[in-house]
Amino acid sequence: MTMNPLQIEAYVDASAAALGLELAAEYRPGVIRYFTLAETMAQQVFGLPLDVTDEPAEAFVPISPR
Amino acid sequence: MSGAGDWLAADAVAMAHAVRERQLSVTQLVGASLQRIAETDERVNAFTDVTEDRALRRAEQLDAKLAAGNDSVAALPLLGVPFAAKNLFDIAGITTLAGSKIERGKPAATRDSPLIERLEAAGAVLVGALNMDEYAYGFTTENSHEGPCRNPHDLSRVAGGSSGGSAAAIAAGQVPLTLGSDTNGSIRVPSSLCGTFGLKPTYGRLPRNRSYPFVASLDHLGPFARSARDLALSYDLMQGFDPHDPACVERPHEATAGLLDQGAEGLRIAILGGYFHDNAKAEAQAAVTRAADALGVRRELHLPEVARARAAAFLISNSQGSNLHLPDLKRRAQDFEPLSRDRFLAGALLPATWVQQAQRVRRWFGLQAAELFKDVDVLIAPATPCVAPGIGTEWIEINGQHLPARPSLGLLTQPISCIGLPVCAAPIWGCHPTLPIAVQIIAAPWREDLVLRVGHALQQAGIAHSPIASLA
Repeated sequence: MTMNPLQIEAYVDASAAALGLELAAEYRPGVIRYFTLAETMAQQVFGLPLDVTDEPAEAFVPISPR
Repeated sequence: MSGAGDWLAADAVAMAHAVRERQLSVTQLVGASLQRIAETDERVNAFTDVTEDRALRRAEQLDAKLAAGNDSVAALPLLGVPFAAKNLFDIAGITTLAGSKIERGKPAATRDSPLIERLEAAGAVLVGALNMDEYAYGFTTENSHEGPCRNPHDLSRVAGGSSGGSAAAIAAGQVPLTLGSDTNGSIRVPSSLCGTFGLKPTYGRLPRNRSYPFVASLDHLGPFARSARDLALSYDLMQGFDPHDPACVERPHEATAGLLDQGAEGLRIAILGGYFHDNAKAEAQAAVTRAADALGVRRELHLPEVARARAAAFLISNSQGSNLHLPDLKRRAQDFEPLSRDRFLAGALLPATWVQQAQRVRRWFGLQAAELFKDVDVLIAPATPCVAPGIGTEWIEINGQHLPARPSLGLLTQPISCIGLPVCAAPIWGCHPTLPIAVQIIAAPWREDLVLRVGHALQQAGIAHSPIASLA
């Protein structure tokens, strides 16, 4: 899964709008740069073959009354 | 020693001993610390608040009890030791800023954080709050609201971050003991760049309630000090379950300070190679070699897929950190630190499946490390890829790679905190003409005793030490 620059721009604009997060013109290039960096990190984590039994690190702990 | 100021070069254990032996009063020691802060902090910018009235009041109380022959006060292990905390720890009467402009004007904290309470119960005296990267999202403490924290060993360079003030205050001789937080390297990076000892305990070991969070699933709190024995003592004093931190693990108290003299004897120690060698410059590689030589270590081991673990930590931090600040990102993005604002905004947009995959990679990587620790007790790796860069540095070169300086300072720490392992950062000198660089001493979860023993052994061997900067 790799996003090209146009896909990244489209995704950033659409998801920011959906969240109600207004991206000022002076912030948008930086946001796209950092989203692109995160996308390379996503490629890294998706590059490791995992099985359905590979669970996430975070596990919910039921809370007893104290 | 001739004057109270001379004691500022000592470590906390030696200071408390001197007060106990009536070589100086608590008021004299705390006064010397306050005077040193007043004389040096315009240049260093480690402190954002100095709690002078509170500190002097507490010093007078301790002195009065000593004068009255109170034996339990005289026996306090940190008697009279001045210390300070990163300004994300709650301090009663002060607004917890977490390095931000946004938190200014919010109500002051009504109670100290548990770790501050525990150190003060052991006789230490809080003298102030320390500079940091905004919301702990950075590795340099180039804080645009407070001004950059400067590295006491070269004032033109960064102190590291995000707990930059916590390391700089020790290197500047202002206090011997500080508290910081470490999500991706924020204790170990500034320890490396300022030449202090630092302990990132196992994830879940020390309670984090009444501190400002960054990434709940990765945040750790821990001490900085001038010696490994001070780390051990303060860590021992801060242990203890607190149900108000959902990540705090209920474990018995496991004292470490009394074990330090066992040194590295009998431990299976190896150098962590591969990624940790390839992403380190010559000075960082030399620090590992020096430490390994002192310990007689030749063996090298590898963790698999380290870059993917680092990527997992990056994504989890980016997403969880941004989620915390989404209301302010929507309402007042202009008030965020310019150096991290765009990163926060981007983090709010990450697809959930990226972060979920990152959490699965994280667990997978933790299992690989657990497998490795069946065959080794302690691993040695560099703490930072290089010595402290100049303030304002945008790019660094690491073995032919052209990398953004600020995020890359955590390249070697992120994979380790990603899986919550305990680490002692021990500062090594002589690998660069003028500056320190630390090694990470890493063990399996809950084995703080082992990393502190090896850190102490390196200090005893004269390889690791934490001198006060001349501030010339």
